[in-house]
Amino acid sequence: MPQLCLYFQLHQPYRLGEYELFDIGNSNAYFDQASELNKEVFLKVSQKSYRPMLSLLIKMAQEIPDFYVALSTSGVFLEQAQMFDPEVISLIQKLVHTGKVELLAETYYHSLASLYDPAEFKDQVQAHADFLKELFDYTPTVFRNTELIYSDQIADQVHALGFSGMLTEAVDRYLHGRDRTQLFVDYSGRLPLLLKHAPLSDDVAFRFSDRNWPAYPLHSETYLDWLSVYPEDAIINLFMDFETFGEHQWADTGIFAFFEHVMKEFLEADWNKTVLPSQVFAKEKRKQTMSWLKKHPEASLYQRKKLMAKGPSQWDLPRYTVTAPISWADVDRDITAWVDNALQQDSLRLIYSLKEKVLATKNNSLIHVWRQLQTSDHFYYMCTKWSADGDVHAYFSPYDDPYEAYRRYSVVVADFEKRI
Amino acid sequence: MIGWEYPPHNSGGLGVACQGITEALADRKHKLYFTLPYALKSSPAHMNIMACRDPDWETPVFQPPFLAYSSVSDMVNSATDEEKAQVAAHDLAALPSSEIELKVSQYADLVAKEAKKHKKKFDVIHAHDWMSFPAAMQVKKISNKPLVTHIHSTEADRIPSGYGSPYITHIEKTGMDASDIIVAVSNYTKRLLVQKYGVPDSKIRVVHNGMYFSDSMNPGSHHFAPDRPIIVFMGRLTGQKGPEYFVSLARHVLKDLPDALFVVAGHGDMYHRLLLQTAHEGLSAKVLFSGFVRNTQRETLLDRANVFIMPSLSEPFGLVALEAAERNTPVIVSKNAGVSEVLPSALTIDFWDLDAMKNAVVGLIKDPSYSEHIVEQHKKELQSVTWHSAAEKLEAIYKQAMIGTKKR
Repeated sequence: MPQLCLYFQLHQPYRLGEYELFDIGNSNAYFDQASELNKEVFLKVSQKSYRPMLSLLIKMAQEIPDFYVALSTSGVFLEQAQMFDPEVISLIQKLVHTGKVELLAETYYHSLASLYDPAEFKDQVQAHADFLKELFDYTPTVFRNTELIYSDQIADQVHALGFSGMLTEAVDRYLHGRDRTQLFVDYSGRLPLLLKHAPLSDDVAFRFSDRNWPAYPLHSETYLDWLSVYPEDAIINLFMDFETFGEHQWADTGIFAFFEHVMKEFLEADWNKTVLPSQVFAKEKRKQTMSWLKKHPEASLYQRKKLMAKGPSQWDLPRYTVTAPISWADVDRDITAWVDNALQQDSLRLIYSLKEKVLATKNNSLIHVWRQLQTSDHFYYMCTKWSADGDVHAYFSPYDDPYEAYRRYSVVVADFEKRI
Repeated sequence: MIGWEYPPHNSGGLGVACQGITEALADRKHKLYFTLPYALKSSPAHMNIMACRDPDWETPVFQPPFLAYSSVSDMVNSATDEEKAQVAAHDLAALPSSEIELKVSQYADLVAKEAKKHKKKFDVIHAHDWMSFPAAMQVKKISNKPLVTHIHSTEADRIPSGYGSPYITHIEKTGMDASDIIVAVSNYTKRLLVQKYGVPDSKIRVVHNGMYFSDSMNPGSHHFAPDRPIIVFMGRLTGQKGPEYFVSLARHVLKDLPDALFVVAGHGDMYHRLLLQTAHEGLSAKVLFSGFVRNTQRETLLDRANVFIMPSLSEPFGLVALEAAERNTPVIVSKNAGVSEVLPSALTIDFWDLDAMKNAVVGLIKDPSYSEHIVEQHKKELQSVTWHSAAEKLEAIYKQAMIGTKKR
């Protein structure tokens, strides 16, 4: 049996309200009018997913000795939780207190800043870390980017921010047939990476209740069988939306019981364990350090101390070189869900072009609004790709169609531009 | 009078014009029978409406079998969304030509039946646009009364590429050939009929549309985006109206007026293309789309506009330009538009000449006194643009047609 590494994503965007042309100059309630909608969505999902799944995780963390899980919570998610359902914050706090949970770093605004503006990216990652400190007294050490977006250029940024490792997607065109269940390092050998196991993750996240799927209905025994074919040193990274549990897959599909049962059965055996990303990276760091020391008996005390503290400057692991950005979205596993057609490209150009003017105002609430407008969901709604992915986009979008998403965003920015 | 549409189900200027003309004629003590291919929920008092609807038609009783000149959302003023969806399926562009031909000919038969019954009650047949022409020709045959055809819009205007429906073009031509007198809504249209349809000049009379003056005026720039110049396009988003030139114009104007907002109001088949064009040209948040605007919003937009532009490729008249002028907005219209004949102070520019357009827009916005001067001229000229003067001319045309037929 392999090791399992679980990570679940929590995020909710601020959707735009019904802000129209005639509101320009008269109102700046871009999100306020929609807060009813945002609140409604949040409470609905909270009822179906956040609350029951967090409670289940707390129970499992308390009852099952070797059960560990990583969560990533966007800043805009946490803000809305505070506003609409503070109980969710309490549950996450409780979960963090079990000591069995790792919180990952990400951009506060769930933005695409890593693709557009490294300095802005850094600010948003810092803001997110500050918020985790404030709410949970927690300092994240492992990074995951919006929608697992990753490239060599992003690895450079994340390494420079001092993170011990990063999570992303395993994309066939960059794997070149290698196993996704091993630890990788970025193109420059400096940042270790865990890659999502898409087939086994998506079996749960997307296919679990699909009646046309040959494996339907998926029994925990079957799933455990699928896991059991992997060797002990393999790490299966099950990365998915937190909402998988209770929202994408409703409670009546049996998803909660399935999850609990799989985990219990899996951890029943003493030699099986779930691991946290930071544990994997720390263990590998020790291993690499020791092996370097063995190979270099002549190293000075200073070199030894430095190595023990900082880890190897070059990791001896297979390299994952990703020249063009990848993500976990759609069948393409690239960034075309957000950056594809002209509507998306010009909206992104526009919002990032306002940076200097916005920051010059030194007005925190304006800067906050500007960053809320950077949330990736706005651009996701503008996606015009068709096929099955289009359905997924439509499922999440508050708009009738991508053109309406663009039209409304444009009207809001037209007003915002004049306030800075 | 043989019609096809009447407010609130008006398509382009046709329905509005039918209302203006019939009300003014009724004021002059003419008795009018007006046929429609559907029933009106509330009949107007000034004339007798004769619903000539085939009971087998699937369209709702209170709606025309298809809207001839527009996307539905644009024009059916008071319809609910459900009603709109029903009619949308019966948009001209969405129908197979056999169905259009069938409905127009069924309508013709029904109108002819009514005409037989009322043969002795009318003196002149007045038919509006091609959908009514087959009916008009039958009625003329039955009654031997003079036929006046009224051209509000031709296929050559609607499909500027020249690849319009041969069927519709043919009906337009035969209808006009069968007429005693042809009424064109502008000299522009008259020239087009002579040049493209080969109609003899001498058969055509020009009767410009009038307009209804609004009583809810609220001019000024206080409505929205108070500090920014606003340039407005309002109309169907379709090739005929030239909205893509309006979008491209924004790029030119923004070089001189970086604060300007361009507003595109309306719906149509080019909507998605225009959004993509806007993004392609890097004009997001500079060119805004309001979607379909209803009564007050429409008025607000025309009030608020600093400049109104109608860059049509071919526009028989262009009523909305008069509305803009009435709302104290200086108007720029394409040279291919009839409306400047009654609004000579409108700046006329070739729709494709973006440099000249740009200079005109920048000139008007940078020089408020010039802009005010134009608006004053507009207002003066509007005084004489009435439906009554249209009715007066029509009356003379009826008389002439009657004399002409008696002679034969």
